[in-house]
Amino acid sequence: MKYSFFPGCSLESTASDFRQSASAVAKALGIRLEEIPGWTCCGSSPAHATDHLLAAALPARNLAVAEEAGQDVVVCCAACYGRLASANLAIREDASLRTEVAKMIGKEYEGNVRVRHLLQVLLEDVGPREVRDAITRSLGGMKVACYYGCLLTRPSELSIADDPEDPQLMENLLEAAGAETIEWPYKTECCGASFSITRTDTVKRLSGEILRMAKESGADCIAVACPLCQTNLDLRQADIEKATGRSFGLPVFYFTQLLGHALGLSDAELGIGKLMTNPGKVLGCRL
Amino acid sequence: MSKPATIEKIDQSLIRELDPEGKLNLLLCLQCGRCSSGCTMRQETDILPHQLNRMAALGMRKEMLASKAIWACISCNTCVSRCPMKVDTPALVDVLRSMAESAPGDLERVRIFNETMLGSVKKYGRSYEFGLMAVYKLKAKDFFSDLAKFPAMLLKSKMRLFPPSTEGRSAVAAIFDRVRQARRAQR
Repeated sequence: MKYSFFPGCSLESTASDFRQSASAVAKALGIRLEEIPGWTCCGSSPAHATDHLLAAALPARNLAVAEEAGQDVVVCCAACYGRLASANLAIREDASLRTEVAKMIGKEYEGNVRVRHLLQVLLEDVGPREVRDAITRSLGGMKVACYYGCLLTRPSELSIADDPEDPQLMENLLEAAGAETIEWPYKTECCGASFSITRTDTVKRLSGEILRMAKESGADCIAVACPLCQTNLDLRQADIEKATGRSFGLPVFYFTQLLGHALGLSDAELGIGKLMTNPGKVLGCRL
Repeated sequence: MSKPATIEKIDQSLIRELDPEGKLNLLLCLQCGRCSSGCTMRQETDILPHQLNRMAALGMRKEMLASKAIWACISCNTCVSRCPMKVDTPALVDVLRSMAESAPGDLERVRIFNETMLGSVKKYGRSYEFGLMAVYKLKAKDFFSDLAKFPAMLLKSKMRLFPPSTEGRSAVAAIFDRVRQARRAQR
């Protein structure tokens, strides 16, 4: 299985552990991720808040380069997924935007490259049965709150899940790895996302609610598929505990870290040491 | 907010300007309030999504452009996903943000962050977090927040000291220039 891979800026920095664990898991399951040559930023939230042509052109440049390889594009970051998929759909449906974008990027692009999230590839192309067969170290009933945030399931036309209000992709994958996923109501609430830098109090309030609900629902840890969600829930968890006087102690893993652990990969290969909330107790090891 | 709009005073040109191709379904809004009841930012905004949609139809340009709402919106897309008429409020907010020259009060930080982040992308082709944070802090005069987080992030390689490099850099700079030229030509 071969794919063009769009890592995105976060996977080079704040989410370097997402990249490490995604690459390690892909390799272990026979997935080849070929980085798009010279890939550039998708524009993220600032682009669509500033100019819709820019917001379509920045992803389109990458997709036009990827088109030459003739493979599906795989994305890990939820924000990049949202921007690439959104630009792709807009370009496909709107002929005048397509013409404008072609002028901006100096290349024709029709919006026909298939953009997919790694979760989709693992479930649709590899499949839960194959994942289950590859498990060497079951998650042993670990209680996981699967958290999707906004950009993997909204807007509904771009949702990676059949039911945008109750996605089940991470649940299916991590149950195949031996986890017990919990039922909880906040899996698609917003963590505060891009306000992480500019409106920290808002982020603490929203992320604090998510941590509280996960804890009250009986979770041992949270699994995420988005660098912004991970940063807000993990990096800010100690501050939220201090401000609210509550103790959560909830490690926030990328789903690839939990899956990789179950595939027998080492903590170093999965970037486990980069997590802020100590995951030692949950993984049954000392860190 | 100003006096209630009357039918004679309604600025019907606004809705055509905000949504020239009628793709945002703004006039289909039923005022059911499903968007507003699920709005992530309902506690921090001054105008709720269903109110904003109606203000667009009523031509309340000034009020919308001066609102907190268009900057407090976090683009979570909950409103449009739940809307029975597919009114695209997040896209409306984006159009209004691109028209506004400043944001009220400390929401100006959001606008400054967007501008600074795009500056970083134009320069390097990718986002350079460390440089972006430095420039943002200077521009927004927000010097001290999160400083304590930097050492751990650098230590855990969650932030790079040096800018990224990509061969796509010049192509990205060219896109920024062309978009700016296209916008100038429109005006």
